Amino acid sequence: MTIPKSRRRAGIFAAVAAVSAAALTMAGCGAPDAGIAGSSVEAGSGEGTVNVWAVDGQAAENDALKKIISNFESSQSKIKVNLKLFPSDQYTKAVNSAASGDLPDVLAFDGPTLASFVYNGKMAPLKDSVSAETLSNQTDSIKAQNTVDGDVYGVGMMNAGLALWGNKKLLDSAGVAYPTTPEDAWTAEEFTGVLDKLASVVPGGKPLDLSEQYGFAGEWGTCCSAGPVIWSGGGTMLKDNKAAGALDSDANVKSLTRFASWKKYTDPNADGLAFPNGRVALSWVGHWTYPTYKALGSDLVSIPLPNFGKGTKTASGTYSWGMGATTKKGAASGKFLDFLMSDDSVRIYTDANGAPPATKTALATSSLYGPGKQLQLLGDQLSKACGPEEKITETCVSVTRPVTAGYPIVTDQVGKAEAAIYAGKDAKEALSAAARAIDQNFADNDGYRK
Amino acid sequence: MIMTTQTQKKPAPATAAARRQSSANLTGHRFAGPLFASPALIGLAIFLVAPFVLAVVLSFYRVQLNSPRPARFIGFEQYTRLFTDPDLSAAFGQALLNNFTFALIVVPVQTVLALGLAVLVNRKLRGMVVFRTFIFMPLVFPLALTAVIWRLIYSRGDEGLLNAIFGLFSGGALSSHDWLGSPSTALGSIIVMSIWQSVSFQMIIVLAALQSVPTELYEAASLDRANKWQQFINVTVPGIRNTLIFVALITTIFSFRLFDQVYLLSRSGSVDRGSTETVMTQIINTGFDNNNVGQAAAMTVIFMLIITVIAIIQRAAVRQRGGV
Repeated sequence: MTIPKSRRRAGIFAAVAAVSAAALTMAGCGAPDAGIAGSSVEAGSGEGTVNVWAVDGQAAENDALKKIISNFESSQSKIKVNLKLFPSDQYTKAVNSAASGDLPDVLAFDGPTLASFVYNGKMAPLKDSVSAETLSNQTDSIKAQNTVDGDVYGVGMMNAGLALWGNKKLLDSAGVAYPTTPEDAWTAEEFTGVLDKLASVVPGGKPLDLSEQYGFAGEWGTCCSAGPVIWSGGGTMLKDNKAAGALDSDANVKSLTRFASWKKYTDPNADGLAFPNGRVALSWVGHWTYPTYKALGSDLVSIPLPNFGKGTKTASGTYSWGMGATTKKGAASGKFLDFLMSDDSVRIYTDANGAPPATKTALATSSLYGPGKQLQLLGDQLSKACGPEEKITETCVSVTRPVTAGYPIVTDQVGKAEAAIYAGKDAKEALSAAARAIDQNFADNDGYRK
Repeated sequence: MIMTTQTQKKPAPATAAARRQSSANLTGHRFAGPLFASPALIGLAIFLVAPFVLAVVLSFYRVQLNSPRPARFIGFEQYTRLFTDPDLSAAFGQALLNNFTFALIVVPVQTVLALGLAVLVNRKLRGMVVFRTFIFMPLVFPLALTAVIWRLIYSRGDEGLLNAIFGLFSGGALSSHDWLGSPSTALGSIIVMSIWQSVSFQMIIVLAALQSVPTELYEAASLDRANKWQQFINVTVPGIRNTLIFVALITTIFSFRLFDQVYLLSRSGSVDRGSTETVMTQIINTGFDNNNVGQAAAMTVIFMLIITVIAIIQRAAVRQRGGV
């Protein structure tokens, strides 16, 4: 009886170990590639078939991408495109485990993974392949995300932004005037007062949605919830590649404690319908909910996130496009990237998914994010780019997540700390523990420096 | 008719031929035993022994997933960290404690509950099939689906189904408890959901055993004027003793490899992860979210040792009582 039992238990650990072993092999495969980024790119003849890897996104996004590619192929006759789509949860693994000969010529990547791709020698700098116009037409916020150690490795068609979505009818009935520009954002104290007023006009007495359904202990917590709170309070997650003294600073303790104090006003939003159903007056979430929220019609307003002392801040950054480190078709790949960043392509793509355009010319003429349009605030925020967190000023708004190959541990620990603080744990204690875990991991990997 | 007689006849010569063949070729064959065992042994070696040995090896290295840095040999550092680093040892200890708490509550409760349900369902009443189906249903639905429903049940605020029910019965005095978010009730909530989800599996096993207890024993017991309760204690329970031990053992196994319930219920809400972390979720988190494979391997090795000790103790205990 007991023998099969211990075998079964062993099986569980063995399974974990088997995956670990596979991972070791993967890490081993990656090793010879290190440090050769950029050195093996060849411009080539500017003709032939360009291999492209991208993430299998929403159906509308995929269709838009295919349409752009067919437009590209019919606009000229020398370059063909071979597109391969990967499921999103497999994508980073696919790139990381590809041997240098198997890397595509052009590939999509998620903003926070770029630094680690560059660190692992998967990406090539773009400056010799992509035209100067394309690079200068990139908005500052997407450029900040796509720059590692001074070199530009990516160009983006779309960006992402956060706002407090407001229900004008509920705001008016509580007599709350709301800011419409980043400069006028509510301070955190004012925001508490606003919540007090709003509590009396919503049915459940909880007027705020903080998107708890996404879970704070994960990427949502770091990028979009704890991130803007920390940056707006004058703090950072890392300073000189160290979390101790930065993440556990008094400013961050104060800001996140304040954030947690809003729990009593917050609808848990387990069904994701708190805002569209009118249970809450304010919803702290990204641009991607616009297709659902626009059902409110003219009652839908966008409001900057609260200001914790150093101006309102939002996270920015999302999927962009770059070149594989070993491409032999640099010139042809560059032409394809130029075409992807043209106004027409950007418009086709952002119309499909509702994201703010990441090129200056397309943003200026956007029917949603352009001047005077319904989501102008998000467009404004993106044009006021801070760059990475160490360059934050009072007036900039869009912050790029930490650009480091150690991002996985940063996002895991910051999210975990935020969730613990929100659940009632002492902020100083939670942030210090997170900082120690991050610094330990960085020290184990020589600070993730090359 | 002709067809059936044919099919009935055929097997006999075939088996006879096979027997003759086997006695001709394999009797006294020295490699017959190892040969037959080899598929299973090779499988065990590839999927069990090799990975475990590799895990032990990995635990002596500093290995970062997705890193171009070669693995670095560091001896026992991962182990010393696990026991001396105040953060790590506290987190690992908490995860172990959560596992043991879970096992200590779930094993007895779930086994007794499974027995109770099986006895109820074993009655010959009209429509019992319907009841059996309902009780068995939680096991049929995928856990990812039931977790979504349970998140709505445990949801903080008045929209949470559990809070709504408590609010209704207490006239609004009891409501708005954050079942998963509050560290004091988070593990308890997961225990309740876990029992609800898997008790029916144990029930089915116990039910099968109940139906194999000979009815003559009950007749004899009733002739001896044993009442229903005495029959249950003296006939039913001894009759299904081995099955009950088996059920308790597999429940123990499930308790220690507890992962999905915790992962699905607490990662998706705004929950302090420390309050519900189990060793398995911590290993996955360390190895695949933090990419720290060496540390995760050290955790698996320690956990394996702990489990081995428990297995030995359990085995000894069962043997003492003339076990299975």
